[in-house]
Amino acid sequence: MTPKKKAAREPAAEAKPARKRTGKQSMTLAKSAKASVEDRVAAIAELPREVCGSDANLEAVLALLSDASQPLDVRLAALQALQAASFSVVAFEPCRGAYTATLRKVATDPDPELRQRVLGILMREKDGFAQKKLLDGLRDPKKALLPPEKALQLLSYDVHSDAYPVAREIVADPPNPTARREALRLLAADADSAPLFAKVLRDKDELAENRQIAAAALQSLRPEALQEHAREIVFDASEYPEIQATSLTALTQFGDAEAVLGDDALMKRVDTMSGGASIKVKQSAKRFLNKYGA
Amino acid sequence: MNVELQINNSTAPGARYVSWAPSPCRIRVTNPAGATGTTATIRLTSVSAASAGAVSFRRGTTGAFATSLSLTVPVNGASVPFFVAGRFGRPSINDGDVTIEARFGTALVGSVRVMVRIRKNANALTPGERDRFVAAFARLNNQGAGRFVDFRDMHTQVSSPQAHGAPGFLPWHRAYLLDLERELQAIDRSVALPYWRFDQASPNIFTRDFMGVSDALGTVQFSSGNPLQFWRTDGVAGINRRPFFPTNTAPPGLLTEAQTLALGSLFRQFETMEGNPHGSAHTSFGGSISSVPTAAKDPLFFLLHANVDRLWAKWQRQLGRFDPTVAASYDNSSTRVGHRLADTMWPWNGVTGGTRPPTAPGGTLAAGTNASAPGPSPRVADCLDFQGSILPLSRMGFDYDDVPFA
Amino acid sequence: MRNASSTSTAPDGGGSVPGPPAAARSEEAFAARVDALAGDPGRRGELAALLREDHPAYDQLGTATTVRMRGWVLLALARGELSDSALIFVLEELDTGTDAYLVAAAARALRSYRAPGPELAPFLARALEHVRFRDEPVCFDGYGEYAVSGAGTSPVRELLATLAWLGPHARGVRAELEAMCPTGAFSRKQRAEWTRTLDAIGGAGEDEPAEDACCALPEGIGRTVWRALDPRRVREPPWEVAFQDHAGAPVTFRELFEGKPTVVVFFYTRCDNPLKCSLTVTKLARVQALLEERGLADAVNTAAITYDPAFDLPERLRGYGEARGVRLDGRNRMLRAVDGIGTLRAHFDLGVNFTGSLVNRHRVEAYVLDARGRVAALFERLHWDEHEVVERVAEVLEEPREPAAPPVRLAAAGSGGRRAASTVPGALAAVALALFPKCPMCWAAYLSMLGIAGLEPLTHASWVLAVLAAALVVNLGSVWLRGRATGSMAAFYVVGIGAIALAASRLVPAWADASWVGIALTTGGTLLSTFGFGRRRGAAPGAWRRRAHDRAASPEASAAPA
Repeated sequence: MTPKKKAAREPAAEAKPARKRTGKQSMTLAKSAKASVEDRVAAIAELPREVCGSDANLEAVLALLSDASQPLDVRLAALQALQAASFSVVAFEPCRGAYTATLRKVATDPDPELRQRVLGILMREKDGFAQKKLLDGLRDPKKALLPPEKALQLLSYDVHSDAYPVAREIVADPPNPTARREALRLLAADADSAPLFAKVLRDKDELAENRQIAAAALQSLRPEALQEHAREIVFDASEYPEIQATSLTALTQFGDAEAVLGDDALMKRVDTMSGGASIKVKQSAKRFLNKYGA
Repeated sequence: MNVELQINNSTAPGARYVSWAPSPCRIRVTNPAGATGTTATIRLTSVSAASAGAVSFRRGTTGAFATSLSLTVPVNGASVPFFVAGRFGRPSINDGDVTIEARFGTALVGSVRVMVRIRKNANALTPGERDRFVAAFARLNNQGAGRFVDFRDMHTQVSSPQAHGAPGFLPWHRAYLLDLERELQAIDRSVALPYWRFDQASPNIFTRDFMGVSDALGTVQFSSGNPLQFWRTDGVAGINRRPFFPTNTAPPGLLTEAQTLALGSLFRQFETMEGNPHGSAHTSFGGSISSVPTAAKDPLFFLLHANVDRLWAKWQRQLGRFDPTVAASYDNSSTRVGHRLADTMWPWNGVTGGTRPPTAPGGTLAAGTNASAPGPSPRVADCLDFQGSILPLSRMGFDYDDVPFA
Repeated sequence: MRNASSTSTAPDGGGSVPGPPAAARSEEAFAARVDALAGDPGRRGELAALLREDHPAYDQLGTATTVRMRGWVLLALARGELSDSALIFVLEELDTGTDAYLVAAAARALRSYRAPGPELAPFLARALEHVRFRDEPVCFDGYGEYAVSGAGTSPVRELLATLAWLGPHARGVRAELEAMCPTGAFSRKQRAEWTRTLDAIGGAGEDEPAEDACCALPEGIGRTVWRALDPRRVREPPWEVAFQDHAGAPVTFRELFEGKPTVVVFFYTRCDNPLKCSLTVTKLARVQALLEERGLADAVNTAAITYDPAFDLPERLRGYGEARGVRLDGRNRMLRAVDGIGTLRAHFDLGVNFTGSLVNRHRVEAYVLDARGRVAALFERLHWDEHEVVERVAEVLEEPREPAAPPVRLAAAGSGGRRAASTVPGALAAVALALFPKCPMCWAAYLSMLGIAGLEPLTHASWVLAVLAAALVVNLGSVWLRGRATGSMAAFYVVGIGAIALAASRLVPAWADASWVGIALTTGGTLLSTFGFGRRRGAAPGAWRRRAHDRAASPEASAAPA
């Protein structure tokens, strides 16, 4: 390959700006009801630095977001511009209050995609308003702003969100399998749920992804227990390949090297598995043997 | 006769990693048997497979690199310096896949295996590179109990003023990524931080064996062999990430690389990329990566920022913007502490309280094994000349696959 | 022993049953109760007790719920005069709070304090620094309401208003405020609010108003609050509580805390308030460094105990400590209580509450334990100063050990005189036993020597011998107890050998001379036990007193649980 030429050391002439429009022009186009949605969305994408540049800009973009009569794509683009601007925390200081208030308003918007996005943003900020709405919706489906599985996923951003009781109820009596999965994932932070995860991990009637969540949860809450279960699963010829592969991965990543290396039976078993039929198991077995030097 | 080869002026295994920027090396005779006279002519070459890395040599700090180098080395054991650099376009794929050989006449008198360790496009990693990277990353996370928690705690709402919305955005994140990469290398030395080229389709990144596949809910799914399935942050398992674009395409609305590099020739123009493409890349998803307080919970964050840093590196290389004393290289007009050239940066400076956050997680910046810069408590100014173009000692020991040294 | 919550089933105070709170503890009921208390001048004082984290009202409730409840109490306090007993909770929120609603409510409540004063200004300035980039609208109209418009108030607005209320008393923080004042073209409205506040504070260079003594903050409230505890109220430590340390090693309360003073902090790794646990453990590392500087590192232990033992397994503890520069070894440990936090919670009256085993809210708390494992000081709520903690530990180190036997008042002496007096009976008993007449001839010899021939009835008074022997045994026992307290048994061994020598001299005629050895060893050992070697005698610690706010806010003073 030919090496590239040495770059010039002298400052070059000012390069042509990347954007075709000024910030003012982009804002005007964004607000224009006559322009096409695509053009408006493209204009809004140029705005992150301007959004919090003046009262007028901020009000205009917040209005685009909260106005239900605007096309959805325009509203979503306005939200994205505000989010991008919010990364510059100090520059965004004058805008944060109005931004948060608007997000709370839009949390109850008729459009489900918008509701989902703003509730996600609010939950990542650990907003009490959003938490209350989501919990109320889980307890009373008539008040639900989001499907239960999404509400649980968002509540899991905050380990203090008081969702454990309702999550346990959902595990016991799920409205749908995805909700149960998310409830399990949320409970993976609950130290009191370790026995539940041991049960799920060893239950062959459970969905594979739930058992994988259980393995990860148990590794975090009771690592010695998971290592023991993983070993037993590896020896269980009737176990599903995904679970055996997960167990091997757990032993590879987190196993006590001394204990594993001293466990001849385990080493032999994994050696056998490395030549087995299942690709997943073979790969995981090979990584195990790589690590433990067999 | 035997000779000792020191890569990066060290015989330590951790030092045997080079990049495009030249690494200072030394050679000395340890056993002069067979030599006649007070010096010996030693010829250095390198051997590697066609798909592996390749290196070049030069005698001093200037001049062309060559595929071989002859050195006159005293037989009394005094060392002679020389430089080794990875040959641009020939990064290593595996650890130690390049062997540097020293010959006295036809006799092989010394050799050392090195790696041309380069930050690559994550979409183009080999399965081995990918697997080593995720394994090291998962190990660093250690289901929430590992050192990764410091990196998560460095990037929060409280600490955000240290790193965003002002010129220090780029240098701070460069130091942040380097700190993380060195911690990964403490686990597996062959690992380099790959980048997500967000203005291009990167379907190989968003797979179950790599950064995961998001379901409709935004829960990221991993294959049963992927250790990232045990990822945990803030006590909560898993990663929430919902792409707003098909992951076999690039996210829409982002400035392309060409547009980003054309933002302007002055730093204060280029730094507007913090909004677009940087902020826009973050907000191309729902989930953790799209909000400041939670962005560092998602390992993809680091690949995103590696690309941000690569764009800055490329802009620097194209315009020669490594010298902090040149006004165009940096916007030093900020009044915010931590964003001026002479300021040290939190958390590595350990300063807390007042305008700094209340605690400083993680301690000083991890020491490099193949470079000493930028030091344990870097200033903003120390993070510009990452290749050592102005001052060789400023070299930080990393490079990008498409940003040459010269 | 504090009772665990009525809904708690696990011995550790956590691990409760799921399900909605009982009706009596619902948020609406709580709000009504707060309103009733606020409206009754005779019962307003009970509001402060509702701000204790460990109040049963918060048991098994989530963090957001406790925020709403606490905020409502703060707003109720804002509607009347803020008492001294409640002031500490308001300052706590400003010092370490990160929740917008609570900080705003606390800032508002502060304006109802009896008088502004300069000591309040730093709290407000600090709170502004914490929340200014996280400002959000809050609504105080009704219980649990959230603002959906930016037109109302916010923590920044409330803090600025309270700084304006302080007026000239805030001049000490004017420079900080000026540095924080938003700049830039866009923020006219905000800058106007800041400008109004700075105008109310007044110009730099003008004299600050003279401090009015009647309006000074209550004693003990400043940058750090600690209270020395009344020793009569100190509880016996729970010696058998079992811990696991950061290395996974088992250790008991006794093994950890008996024998040397200890600085103990409480924390948990999932605390998401960087101004609380993360900062607390970081400061513990600084305490360790200060102890090292002062040459006290070998004389004082440190410990960080997690509120969340079910989740904070040893590897997590170690990682958390190491990431904050904490030294970890046999004398400096991170700990989890193996059987749960319940016993410790009761013993220390910890300022914490739970939902399940997860903390819903806690205060900042650091303890100094004496060498007997008893709480000698508590630094609570406001962030403690590392130097003050080390000073307090140094004082505890210098405190006199407890006397081995009840003190004998020979004179109106200070502590030194009392200690000296306590050695006399033991020494006298040793001497008397050694010299006790062994036969009538000896009696005659003594009597003639002393010229007390009139004491014939004392001949063959063997009961006196028994009394002297008993006194020697009592002395022996006392020296043993003293040795346990000080951690040095050398004196006991010396006295023990002396007692053996005395007994031998009485029982074996050939060893009569051993009595002199016995006297010397018994007397010397008793003196050694009392005074020790190289121990500085200091004055007794400062007066044992409870602060006004402690009295009001103690569990005894609180209303009956709901």
